[in-house]
Amino acid sequence: MHIFILRRLLQLIPVLFGVTLVAFLIIQLVPGDVAQVMAGEAASEAQLEQMRENLGLNDPLVVQYGRFLGDLIMFDLGESVRTGQPVMDIIAPRFIITVELALWGMVVAVSVGLFFGILSATYRNTIRDYGTMTLAVVGLSMPNFWLGLLLIYWFSIQLGVLPTSGWGTWQQVIMPAITMGTAGAAVIARMTRSSMLEVIDQDYVRTARAKGVSERFVVYKHAFRNALIPVVTVIGLQFGYFLSGAVLTENVFAINGLGRLVVDAISQRDFPVVQGAVIVLAITFVFVNFLVDIAYRVLNKRIDLN
Amino acid sequence: MTTPLFEAKNLQKYFPVKGGILNRTQAQVKAVDDVSFAINPGETLSIVGESGCGKSTTGRAILRLDDPTDGEILFEGQNLMELSKSDLRQKRKEMQIIFQDPYASLNPRQKVKQILDEAMAIQGVVPKAKRPERIRELMEVVGLRPEQAERYPFQFSGGQRQRIGIARALSVDPKLIVCDEAVSALDVSTQAQVLNLLKKLQKDLDLTYLFISHDLGVVRHISDRVIVMYLGKIVEIADKRDLFDSPRHPYTRALLSAIPIPDPSKTRERIVLQGDVPSPMNPPSGCRFHTRCPFATDICKAEEPELRSTTFMNETHKAACHHIEKIAETEKTSIV
Amino acid sequence: MASNEQTPVLEVKGLQTSFFTPDGEVKAVDGVDFSVNSNETLGIVGESGSGKSITSLSVMRLIQHPGKIVGGTIELSGEDLLKKSKQQFAKYRGNRLSMIFQEPMTSLNPVFTVGSQIAEAVRIHKKLDKKAAWQEAVNMLKLVGIPAPEDRAKRYPHELSGGMRQRVMIAIALSCDPELLIADEPTTALDVTIQAQILELIKELQEKSGMAVLMITHDLGVIAETADKVVVMYAGEVVEQADVKTLFKRPLHPYTQGLMNAIPRHDIDLDELEMIPGTVPTPQNMPSGCRFAERCPYARDLCVEKHPELATPSNNVDEGITTGQTRCWIYTDEWDGPNPTKGVATNQ
Ligand SMILES: Nc1ncnc2c1ncn2[C@@H]1O[C@H](COP(=O)(O)OP(=O)(O)OP(=O)(O)O)[C@@H](O)[C@H]1O
Ligand SMILES: Nc1ncnc2c1ncn2[C@@H]1O[C@H](COP(=O)(O)OP(=O)(O)OP(=O)(O)O)[C@@H](O)[C@H]1O
Ligand code: SF4
Ligand code: SF4
Ligand SMILES: [Mg+2]
Ligand SMILES: [Mg+2]
Repeated sequence: MHIFILRRLLQLIPVLFGVTLVAFLIIQLVPGDVAQVMAGEAASEAQLEQMRENLGLNDPLVVQYGRFLGDLIMFDLGESVRTGQPVMDIIAPRFIITVELALWGMVVAVSVGLFFGILSATYRNTIRDYGTMTLAVVGLSMPNFWLGLLLIYWFSIQLGVLPTSGWGTWQQVIMPAITMGTAGAAVIARMTRSSMLEVIDQDYVRTARAKGVSERFVVYKHAFRNALIPVVTVIGLQFGYFLSGAVLTENVFAINGLGRLVVDAISQRDFPVVQGAVIVLAITFVFVNFLVDIAYRVLNKRIDLN
Repeated sequence: MTTPLFEAKNLQKYFPVKGGILNRTQAQVKAVDDVSFAINPGETLSIVGESGCGKSTTGRAILRLDDPTDGEILFEGQNLMELSKSDLRQKRKEMQIIFQDPYASLNPRQKVKQILDEAMAIQGVVPKAKRPERIRELMEVVGLRPEQAERYPFQFSGGQRQRIGIARALSVDPKLIVCDEAVSALDVSTQAQVLNLLKKLQKDLDLTYLFISHDLGVVRHISDRVIVMYLGKIVEIADKRDLFDSPRHPYTRALLSAIPIPDPSKTRERIVLQGDVPSPMNPPSGCRFHTRCPFATDICKAEEPELRSTTFMNETHKAACHHIEKIAETEKTSIV
Repeated sequence: MASNEQTPVLEVKGLQTSFFTPDGEVKAVDGVDFSVNSNETLGIVGESGSGKSITSLSVMRLIQHPGKIVGGTIELSGEDLLKKSKQQFAKYRGNRLSMIFQEPMTSLNPVFTVGSQIAEAVRIHKKLDKKAAWQEAVNMLKLVGIPAPEDRAKRYPHELSGGMRQRVMIAIALSCDPELLIADEPTTALDVTIQAQILELIKELQEKSGMAVLMITHDLGVIAETADKVVVMYAGEVVEQADVKTLFKRPLHPYTQGLMNAIPRHDIDLDELEMIPGTVPTPQNMPSGCRFAERCPYARDLCVEKHPELATPSNNVDEGITTGQTRCWIYTDEWDGPNPTKGVATNQ
């Protein structure tokens, strides 16, 4: 197990290199003169030169990348070209909000998804199964923002029980979490169902029944533990999507998360902020995947066989 | 002495086991370790032994389906290890293989006639125009009706599918056929049909078989000579009669005594071996059987026994045990 | 020893189990009767698809959708099992009757240690606390001959060999002293030397506890060595039933005879194996007469037209010879003429 974790960590190194390289190139690949794009049409030549100097754009690429990496290791993502604040300081609070949002979305997705997945598998080919799976298709095909608007219409405008926007109180959390989690719940429910159906016919499940284990324990202990293995992977992937897909939900509910920050930064051509956000998101994504791998391994003892 | 059709000399096949942080090769599975034997034209040589002892690996290695790690394989005197890929492909039509699971080895989307046609096309042995005729012939040879060639594999029973596998192997006029557990998945009544067919074909077409099986009843029925393997090594090789009537190696004896006989009136002394087969990753020192052998002594742990014959054995009968003589002695006294 | 009035541990009468598939009803088991007493082993033999596993799964009430027990009774020491509610019956499973399966490699849950899988059965039925159940699991492992049981109990199934896993299955099955053990091809997936160990173990444990054993196998050798009584199944029916010595000495049904002559033996030489031509009929085209008629060398019009019953022979057997029961017209009064199977030597 330790060897496995170590090996996985070693494998992360090239991935992280790739991620930083892509993020670094964001600035380089902007068509035309980056400084011009950032500073705007009206900027004078002197201003442009100043900007190039600040961003180090006059050095050879390799030097720039080296410096970029060096700064990165010190958690220095540069400064915003608009406000001059360190990018790290701008991103950190917004990032925390987005992670919170994604986590709450996950809570909805996982609990609802697993519940309906198991329900539908244990009652396979019955009304409950068909009903659940139809709901799942609906949940999947409904666009996020639309669901968000519907919720606002019902709960805030018609019933007036939940606030339309903001972040912090539990009332503010409910609707965004549902908005975020619905599609994920549908994906997880479908995955859980098919994985449970596969497992429920396995010989060891029959063995559990033959031992006299009650049907409830057969399903929740013997079958579910095994069915969970592929589901964990899907859950991990979903979390990644949530982080990057939070922007729509954030906009609908006017939450000041990382997504909105990026959108604003793009429209203001504040590339260091965009770059910083990309790096933070990508590293989080990679790290979540790493955790999923380990969870997968802990759940699935058989991989130890090599 | 006839010149053998096929010879394996010091055949070795190791599989690397990867692991550790950098996923380097950590150990070797010694699946086949220094195995030598010869097959004479027209005979059936069988390999028996328990699961994992290296039977299939041997079968695959001699056809170079998996390249052996070391050793020589001679077919009609020619060393197959030295052949290029294309020359080897030419040779393959002389050596065919039939597998255990007839279903897995037949393309489910091809009709039987396409399966047979393709086999002939690949080897280029039968001109296209002649193939329909040849397919009819093959179907009859293996006891199927020619019009059944229009069907798909799933439309046949297990025994019939195995016949298709045999027809495919025969389609290129091979000299040697390796049968890897060819009847193991079949019910006794169907198994008897296929075994009888294999025997008949051998007589009619002058075939040579290397017959791999874990079922000693089947092996006795079909073979002329038998090899017993344990953990990648040959422990005994003999003419069929010698092997079944006077086995010399303690493992062979245990194996034979462990098989239930379908006759409740016969009671026999059974040697129940203790323990499991050790891992081929680090096989026991000396004689690989010493961890389970009731006759093991110190020398067995230290020195690897050679395959050998003694005065009271036929010269074609060889066993790899330090104590052949002593064991034969105890047998005499226990019978008296 | 067992007197005739003794209530059998298991008595199955007229068992019918069907699968309701899109292509129609598949009668996998079609009117099967047998009984087993304590301390006795009943062997069930038959080819693949003859209904052996479905019979045993029916006794355990483990038939899954779309299968269903559609007729008959199953009595355990006189209690009708089919009348029990699901909850009541779950208390019997693994306790009064238990089962081991053919596939030791896949029959244990890969994500739990073997010790916890044994302890689970003990906890359910014996109401022991966690620690005592674990201790009991270790004891069971020792009983089934697993070396270093304390250590092995903490292992996961994939860390054990096939033979070991089958021992663990036996430990689970026997942990609550069942009256009946059903062993469905317990050694088919194992090597012969390991098979010998496992069969020996089952016999030994039976001697200790006096349980009844249902030994299901396609191997007549295993039957000869383990069973007291034998049931031969063909296409979902019992075609012959006798005590083991009688069956092997004087097999009556042409199918049983064919089966015995088709086995290649390692202890004697045979020039040619007798073959049973053709294959088992599929449920879709099950003959209405004798189900073996298509393959039987002695079949007559009578056989094709009318379905024979399982009965004690009333015709064509010599005086004073003990026989079992068979399902074949030859041994009934409706068969005129001599027994065509006479002189058909079996290998014995
Ligand atoms: N591709 C492979 N990689 C690693 N190990 C292998 C490979 N193929 C076979 N082995 C190992 O080599 C040994 C011999 O395997 P082989 O398949 O020859 O056994 P066998 O005698 O045919 O057994 P069986 O009766 O189960 O078919 C086994 O320990 C097996 O695990
Ligand atoms: N789920 C199912 N749906 C339809 N038919 C089934 C199903 N399960 C079993 N059957 C049918 O029931 C019959 C009996 O099967 P069973 O498993 O009892 O055979 P068996 O005698 O145990 O054979 P084997 O030796 O292969 O284990 C077979 O003909 C099979 O086709
Ligand atoms: S050499 Fe020794 S250990 Fe090996 S088989 Fe002979 S007596 Fe047994
Ligand atoms: S009833 Fe007729 S067909 Fe059936 S087994 Fe007897 S003789 Fe053969
Ligand atoms: Mg093999
Ligand atoms: Mg079965």
